[in-house]
Amino acid sequence: MIEIKHLRKVFDDDTIPLKDIDVTINDGDVISIIGPSGTGKSTLLRCINMLTEPTSGNIIVDGQDITEKGCNLNEIRKKMGMVFQSFNLFGHLTIIENIMNPQITLLGRSRQEAYDKAMDLLQQVGLASKVFAYPDELSGGQQQRIAIARTLAMDPDIILFDEPTSALDPSMIGEVQSVIKMLAKSGRTMMIVTHEMDFARKISNRIIFMYDGYIYEEGTPKQIFEHPKKEITKRFIQRLSSLTYRVKSSDFDTEAMNDELQAYGEKLLIEAERLTKLMIAFEEIVMNNLVAYSEDPDVLVKVEYSEKLDILTMLVCYKGEKFDVGSSENRLFIDLLAEPTTEVRQDDIDSDPLGYEHMISIRFRWVEEGE
Amino acid sequence: MRKLAVFLLVMLIASLSAFSEPKYSTIEDLNGKNIGVQTAVLYEELIQDRVPDSTIQYYTMPNDMILALTSGKVDAYLIEEVSYGVQKKNHPELDVLEEPAGYINATCIIGNNERQDVLLAELNEFIAESHANGLLAELYDYWIADFDPVNDTCDIGGFTGESGTIAVAVEGGYEPFSFISNGRISGFDVDFICRFARAYGYTPEFYEVPFEAIAPGVESGKYDIGMNIVVSEERNETGTLSDVYYSTPIRLVVLGDDESSLSFIEKLEQSFEKTFFREGRWKLFVQGAGITVLITIMSIVAGTVLGFLVYLVCRKGFKAAIRLTNFFLWLIHGMPTVLLLMILYYIVFGSSSLSGTWVSIVGFSLMFACSMIDMLRVGCNAIGRGQLEASTALGYSESQSFFRIILPQAAQHFLPIYRNEVVTLIKETSVVGYIAVLDLTKISDLVRSRTYEAFFPLIVTAIMYFVISAVLTKAVDLVEHSIDPKRRKKDKILKGIKEWE
Repeated sequence: MIEIKHLRKVFDDDTIPLKDIDVTINDGDVISIIGPSGTGKSTLLRCINMLTEPTSGNIIVDGQDITEKGCNLNEIRKKMGMVFQSFNLFGHLTIIENIMNPQITLLGRSRQEAYDKAMDLLQQVGLASKVFAYPDELSGGQQQRIAIARTLAMDPDIILFDEPTSALDPSMIGEVQSVIKMLAKSGRTMMIVTHEMDFARKISNRIIFMYDGYIYEEGTPKQIFEHPKKEITKRFIQRLSSLTYRVKSSDFDTEAMNDELQAYGEKLLIEAERLTKLMIAFEEIVMNNLVAYSEDPDVLVKVEYSEKLDILTMLVCYKGEKFDVGSSENRLFIDLLAEPTTEVRQDDIDSDPLGYEHMISIRFRWVEEGE
Repeated sequence: MRKLAVFLLVMLIASLSAFSEPKYSTIEDLNGKNIGVQTAVLYEELIQDRVPDSTIQYYTMPNDMILALTSGKVDAYLIEEVSYGVQKKNHPELDVLEEPAGYINATCIIGNNERQDVLLAELNEFIAESHANGLLAELYDYWIADFDPVNDTCDIGGFTGESGTIAVAVEGGYEPFSFISNGRISGFDVDFICRFARAYGYTPEFYEVPFEAIAPGVESGKYDIGMNIVVSEERNETGTLSDVYYSTPIRLVVLGDDESSLSFIEKLEQSFEKTFFREGRWKLFVQGAGITVLITIMSIVAGTVLGFLVYLVCRKGFKAAIRLTNFFLWLIHGMPTVLLLMILYYIVFGSSSLSGTWVSIVGFSLMFACSMIDMLRVGCNAIGRGQLEASTALGYSESQSFFRIILPQAAQHFLPIYRNEVVTLIKETSVVGYIAVLDLTKISDLVRSRTYEAFFPLIVTAIMYFVISAVLTKAVDLVEHSIDPKRRKKDKILKGIKEWE
């Protein structure tokens, strides 16, 4: 059992990733830590095994406060495994040695014992054929599975996963996730920082939503994903399936929107070409017309993607004079509208709570060539 | 080895290829050409008006000018006829222009005491007589034009002493004028003054005095006659000087026809014999190489250990240690090697009895330690924080992480640099001659100044440096390979383990 009390971390540059954290990790818990970037998720995880030294607060592991001076951290760390975003396998050692050597050096196991354990784990993660390979000869997914095996070989009481799939190609995320799922089922205590919400939801019994250095909301996956109580949690969960922007001036950061859109597309496997079309439509409708010709612009843009129907939709709600998309003089945009895979609807809205009066909806479908 | 052979062949051909030079017969022919001269003797002023377009090149060692001439770097060089005589013996291909560039005139200085006037008159009388009857010309030929350092002797006995004794100051270490031969004073000056003493009934007593002390000693009346005072054309105003008793031309040396009948191979053999076997000179080379190897290896070992220890202390994160280390890195890296050695030798260890060799070892160890610290920093930084974090998270202690995870990988990054640093160090040691260490380069210089030969001393020294570099480089290579984790055999990785099928 690990108890964390009033944990606070202030970095040298005065940023405060952790403001006041209280949490108890029970044996057998599988906890996923989610939340926007830069809210202290990784820092919290790294404080638990003191890779990052907290500024104040206590971390009590099985009754022992490991933040105290004189605590033998190396002994504590042997009981805590950690899996890193960038795998961090030892480059000069073969796969089998990466798993064997820590056991021999730190646990005093015989070479044969360490070898047997390593081979057993290599079979579990499906890489028994890579015994003599070096880390740089393996794919990212394979390296991460080895890193997990290396951690497991130490028989830890808890495993800390720091964004274990963030550095992987989408095609490799699955193989690593299934190994972690297998571990979760076997009743190990685990703590995972992740951006993969689906994955977090499936394997965890507790979800911690972090925001601005605090644990903002905590609960079961059902509570957090289906019935979030607090406002920011709600917004965060909603944003997962759609992106919403409110454009109120010509200074709107289209670059940032484009980046976010690309990340969104990558996650949901939307073709880059379709996202480009959406960006063209956005710039023409919103930036070049609605915002450019209004003194006090207020435009709501919502991007949604339906996996089932494979349709990408952009919804634009605005106030004031009506704008007909057909009146655009942008050739690229007009051509885009004329494509058979593009569908446009323009409606007026009545009694909208936010006061929007008109709506443009563009749906982008995708047809593979030759179909 | 084949590369070395080709290199040697090229050097040989280059050193012998300069024989078809145009011939010069007057000083004016040399206008616009390159002319060599020894630094600070100012002989170039004698001919400057006649060769206004020539470039003057300065050399510290007179014998280096021979190589400059034979390799075509200069077309002629200025040197006293006396030195030319010795050079010509060893280099028959040298020749001189008929017209000398100028003359060096030598006189005697007469002691400032009651016998001054008498001695001056007698000496001038004797000089005039000797010019007239050919004695001085005879002596000049015997001692200077045809000097034989081993067999030439002079009679220093048979004095009556009826007119008393005279104290004569001579340099004593100045062939062929006054030098010690078989334990007795000998030479042109000595021969001349003995003949004078016999003729006028004196018994000479010789005092060997450094040149700069002769005139002051004579002026104070301590000596009656001081020998070999060189005068310029404007006669020296200070002191009472006799008439000129010899005059030697300053020559312009050019390449002439090789008059010797020796074949190319015979000349080579002779040169080789002179450089290595005469007086057992090969022992000097071996000794010099030994010093170079000693300094190099001791400095590498001490520097590596020192650098490693300092790096470990810095790694612990002591701020003061890091600052101090950075200061020393800045100081030592920013200083020319020679300067560092001289500061250590004359200032830091000035009052201790530490020999130049040990001071060199200290100096080069410091330099190598600085490079070692830099190499370790670069090498370890190249591994990145990730693996260190991983090993820490597994429970490795700081030193376990460093020695088991970081260092084996960092070594593969910095060993290639280490190898270069070793080669650099070997070459840098060639400056230790500045602090009185007889290393390989210094020995080569010494041998060159005695044999008047450049080819073999230079080439052999170069080869010896190549060999030392090659051996040490190979040693580093072997270390690099033996600790390269990726070169291990599979069965060694799982030694003693019963493998799964």
